Amino acid sequence: MKLLRIELKTRWVKILKDIWGNRQRSLLVVLSIAVGIAAVGMINTARHIVERDLYGQFRAGNPASLILYVSPFQKQLAGAVQNMREVETAEARRVVAAQALNSKGEWKDLALNALPNFNAPKVDQFRLESGAAVPAGREILLERRSADGLGVKAGDMLTVKMPDERTYRLRVAGIVHDIYVMPFSLMDEATGYVRMETLQWMGEQPYYNQIRLVAAQQKTDRASVLKTGELARDRVIEPAGYQVFRIQIPGVNSDPGQHWAQNQINGFLLILQVMGILAVLLSGGLIINTISAMMTQQARQIGILRAIGARRSQLITMYLVNVWILAAAALLIALPLGLLGAWGIAELAASFLNFNLSEIAVPFHVLLLQVGLGLTIPTLAALYPILEGTRTPVVQAIYHQGVRGEEQERPIDHLLMKLKALSPPVLLSLRNTFRKKTRLAFTLATLTLAGAMFISVFSTRASLTEQILQVGRYIAFDASLSLKPGTQRQTAEREALRIPGVQIAEGWASSSGVILHSDGSESKALEVVGLPHDTQTMDPALQAGRWLRANDTAAVVINDDLLESEPDIQVGDRIQLKIGEAKRWFTVVGITSKHLSGARVYMTLEEYGKFTGRMNQADVIRLRAEPGKLAAPQVQAQIAAELETRFNNAGLSEQTASTQNTLFSTFTRPFNIILIVLIIMATILSIVGGLGLTGVMGLNILERTREIGVLRAIGATNASVFQVVIVEGLVVGLISWALGAVVSLPSGFLLAGAVVKAVLQATVHYRYSPWGLLLWLAIVVLIGVFASLTPARSAARLTVREVLEYE
Amino acid sequence: MNHTIRETFAPPVLVGTHQPSPILRVCGVSKSYQTLAGAVQALSGVSFEVFPGEFIAILGKSGAGKSTLINLISGIDNADSGEIIVNGAAVHAMSEDQRARWRGRNLGVVFQFFQLLPSLNLIENITIAMDLTDSLPPAQRRQRALQLLEQMEIAEHALKPPAKISGGQQQRVAIARALANDPPILLADEPTGNLDSKTRDGILEIFSALAREGKTLLIVTHDQEIASRASRVIHLRDGRIVEAER
Repeated sequence: MKLLRIELKTRWVKILKDIWGNRQRSLLVVLSIAVGIAAVGMINTARHIVERDLYGQFRAGNPASLILYVSPFQKQLAGAVQNMREVETAEARRVVAAQALNSKGEWKDLALNALPNFNAPKVDQFRLESGAAVPAGREILLERRSADGLGVKAGDMLTVKMPDERTYRLRVAGIVHDIYVMPFSLMDEATGYVRMETLQWMGEQPYYNQIRLVAAQQKTDRASVLKTGELARDRVIEPAGYQVFRIQIPGVNSDPGQHWAQNQINGFLLILQVMGILAVLLSGGLIINTISAMMTQQARQIGILRAIGARRSQLITMYLVNVWILAAAALLIALPLGLLGAWGIAELAASFLNFNLSEIAVPFHVLLLQVGLGLTIPTLAALYPILEGTRTPVVQAIYHQGVRGEEQERPIDHLLMKLKALSPPVLLSLRNTFRKKTRLAFTLATLTLAGAMFISVFSTRASLTEQILQVGRYIAFDASLSLKPGTQRQTAEREALRIPGVQIAEGWASSSGVILHSDGSESKALEVVGLPHDTQTMDPALQAGRWLRANDTAAVVINDDLLESEPDIQVGDRIQLKIGEAKRWFTVVGITSKHLSGARVYMTLEEYGKFTGRMNQADVIRLRAEPGKLAAPQVQAQIAAELETRFNNAGLSEQTASTQNTLFSTFTRPFNIILIVLIIMATILSIVGGLGLTGVMGLNILERTREIGVLRAIGATNASVFQVVIVEGLVVGLISWALGAVVSLPSGFLLAGAVVKAVLQATVHYRYSPWGLLLWLAIVVLIGVFASLTPARSAARLTVREVLEYE
Repeated sequence: MNHTIRETFAPPVLVGTHQPSPILRVCGVSKSYQTLAGAVQALSGVSFEVFPGEFIAILGKSGAGKSTLINLISGIDNADSGEIIVNGAAVHAMSEDQRARWRGRNLGVVFQFFQLLPSLNLIENITIAMDLTDSLPPAQRRQRALQLLEQMEIAEHALKPPAKISGGQQQRVAIARALANDPPILLADEPTGNLDSKTRDGILEIFSALAREGKTLLIVTHDQEIASRASRVIHLRDGRIVEAER
């Protein structure tokens, strides 16, 4: 240390000692810089990791551009499709819906996949994690999340129930990682892989029902890929005597070759990026205030340095170096902190989206961005205060410190001067608040922005929750059960009403259909539902038009989801529906809100019967214990169990009953991660805001040390000094809260709109969050008090003698 | 023997033609300040000369313009009109930055409230003056600072911060800092104004010794004791020189 002191020029010793001597202030600057830079690092590194690992692993396994759902076929058909020059690879697959018994004794949906060749899968390749790569007869491979969800591991026996209700015991031969299926944690549906021989042993016919193909060219072009699918259908599949039910690009509104959640992930990362930029801006505001504070504190010393020969350029360099040292310290905190945050987000994403993390490291471009921002922003933020601080005439700096800082009087000052009713300390606090208007403006801007974003995050959460709750209106039953084809509606309803406690039973019928366009083309597949016009197991929210009526003829209500693919349909329009070979014209009388589960067309049971010829039939039974409200989850589970047993025994169903509670919690699970990340961002913003106010309060008190001495000299108690300081902090906090509340109205709408668009692919139904507003009020009050506590304590501790000696 | 010249608006006084050229020429200098109460004329057409090796005391009541005068001579403040030539350099014509550079090499300034840098220890408070002006090779600065502290008889406190020593000791450090670059002229603004009588005597002894060594001293003071030690006294009243006595 001694050696260092000898070697360093005194000016640098001064800078280092100033930094160390004002540890609190230095720490504040360091944290102000670090928060913004860490946020940038966290978001960009996480983005890099997700793009590299998730998309990389996705691309590596040769993702299918297209899936063709075909009537039962032999694997040679896929070979014929592959021979097309437009097709790079095609592979047959059989997918059977079954159920598996988990370790808790509950039946869970299981998609059983049979592949022609386990040794070398060609499309949507999965990777072995443990056990055997190729299952033998009566063995199954399980996707790793499914194995976790079911509570089984390699070597265990798994009980599988086929659609015909027969159960089979399969040995879990291996655990695989399949990035192409939506994970069990999201869908509550397990995925398993068996040989075709095993399926045969389980009573299934040895045929395939899907062709997964990779286009030879323009693999990511939606239109081109769909055309390839149509060519395969028209040239190879249908001429060979098979029927193509559906041509589908995998994913949720994804483009070919894209990960199934890529749009949502990108949208969400974009929102995080915006939040990161905001955090940097906030931290820039903080830096300006804190560096201004530093320069104000240093004004007299700058005067002294000038008096003993310092040139302005020397002073500018000295204080810039001061800022760079603090920025370097901030980077030392921000880089690992950002990486830690990125690791957290990447871990969360990896567990949520079922991919492997390879390497957690800050990529060079992000490092460069962080270092660049970490040095540039503080330099830019500090430049003005430094230039101003070093421009102050020497005589002013030495003899009149503080006087120059007083700003011009404004109407608010006159107004405050007229306030007489308040106690003198409170009046002093109020007037103090408005003394340094530029600084107040910066503080208010920082806190207002932080507050607005905080409230916006809560409004986004409220909007998202509200939108998700809206979906609950369409599953307003206590329990429901799929029925055997051809089940009589009255029989099912009568049977259901025998269950103790059940007051309402509704049999609904449904079919898959399409809309026929005037040019002869077909819409995407949609679900046509026949239901009682006065249904009590659904509470539709109408966006336009009206609900169905008893005497309606040829009337339908569509949902908003249908408008995604058929945006031109309006209330009053006539649409031609097709189910199988049946076609019929209907008038759209109403449009309901989004269901988020696909396009639907509702009509009365009578109309449905006339259209499909399935009079008095039901495909699902929906029950409610009471008309007014949903039953408690335990009651729902009881009703579901009773329903399942009774209907299985009566031969009316072979399925598992669901409850509204389990369906809804499964549905809402994916959104929790988004809400968690939004809350993390809100917390970061409130920390930035808190740091800002703490810095400014410390500075205000520092500048008023002499005044505080005078107050104490004329008899002010510790409590009065405390009151003066804390009320000022509170006033600043409350003003920022009010401003933040106003700004949060538009900013919340924009953020909620962007998030809902990204994660639900829907237009937001904006909900302002009064809870966010109140919570921010509480936080602002706490910030105001805590930010003022340390300065207040220091001020109260000063003796009159110390204050009057204050330099 | 005291030779008294009464001055009001008189031009600089030159005593005999055989004298060396003045090290400081103040010629018709005026300065006013704007305050909330209106303009205050701090100095009005002040003129005088100082010759090398002189020990000048500037006396006057509070508000007479003494500190303003010393600030203008040191270039810490700007005159509204008039000329100030120090050692051949036209201070009034320099920019603030030029003045700072010039001041560091040519003038030593001692303030009433010492104005030491609180974060630096005593030795660093002296070496920083050399550092900013690059007046000595870095390796010699510390040695020079120690010599000055020894000269001021406070070398044992060299590594202490200013807050840990007394007011008198702080003033000695301020004088040592003013001497760091070995300037020919030393300006002091009320250097004993904040000190008790015993400490004051010690400081006065230092100034007398510096005068004997040939430094030119210009000291603003209320203190008659300083005036009695000075080779010349200039009286200021209401911003004008009312009396100069030798």
